[in-house]
Amino acid sequence: MKNIQGESFEVRLEPDNSTVLFKGALRLSGTEDYAPILNMLKETLINPAAPIVLDLRELNFLNSSGITMLSRFVIEARDRSGIYLMFLASEAVPWHARSLKNLQRLMPSLSISLS
Amino acid sequence: MTFSRNPDSDKATSHEREYLEMAFSPSSGPLRSRWRNNGLSADFLGDYVATFMPSNDGGAVLEKQQSRIKHAVAYIANELLENAMKYHQRDVDIPVRIDLELTGDHITVSVSNGASQSQAQNYAKFVEQLRAGDASELFLQQQEKSAKCDEAEVSCVGLLTMIIDYDALMDWRFEVHPVQRESMIVTTSAVLLLDNILGASA
Repeated sequence: MKNIQGESFEVRLEPDNSTVLFKGALRLSGTEDYAPILNMLKETLINPAAPIVLDLRELNFLNSSGITMLSRFVIEARDRSGIYLMFLASEAVPWHARSLKNLQRLMPSLSISLS
Repeated sequence: MTFSRNPDSDKATSHEREYLEMAFSPSSGPLRSRWRNNGLSADFLGDYVATFMPSNDGGAVLEKQQSRIKHAVAYIANELLENAMKYHQRDVDIPVRIDLELTGDHITVSVSNGASQSQAQNYAKFVEQLRAGDASELFLQQQEKSAKCDEAEVSCVGLLTMIIDYDALMDWRFEVHPVQRESMIVTTSAVLLLDNILGASA
């Protein structure tokens, strides 16, 4: 299991290499600071499971640099064939429903499960 | 920090306003150590606004609405502060200011910072592009561009998300600094209409 932790967040790649769990508030300052997380996400694309799951249900805050990091991952997944990507989101977290829809416009097959 | 409110009321109406202002000296420490303060200040503003929103008597729906407002203010304040801290002119002592204004039907968050003439011009160009174009399309273009170029720090995605995700009405002011005439003061304001946030289906 791989783990990246900061003062206010945790990102964890589960042992199956196909589920990434996000927790807390992510407000890193830009592309460089988000690179380790993006690299962790890209590990799921090496032997892609169906589906690859990003569990965002406990990610309460993501700044726009973080949204750009997610976009980069979504675009990379889209540009490879046969990737099935799913986001788990929560209705209780105000940004999920509105902001994640934009990522669906980048990858129409992206599945968002809102619970 | 300045607070101001009508002491006779527990809730803002269309005739009353609440204000909160904060100012930072952005040159007093390295960007990385100041970064944490953006989040703290933004969360504080979100909590502050939520105090005046209808919910204390409330059921789940009102709590959800309060949470939407709190989040919208915290997100917008954080993005505006991040931009101001990143782009302010480093060699002059012009504070970064954030102002919050709450009325019965809208919330305004404004952030100002000092900028060189050339920085201000670049920003003004982007603003023109934003005013002329469609924010959703610009957002998609910026994200595609970012994915193709590892080096590129994609600019102004924060502004685009405020418009797309929070229906923020944006305004900008570019003024020559009254004393330091070679510098500009750039003010970015985001207006959130309470009906839009409270009525959001999401």
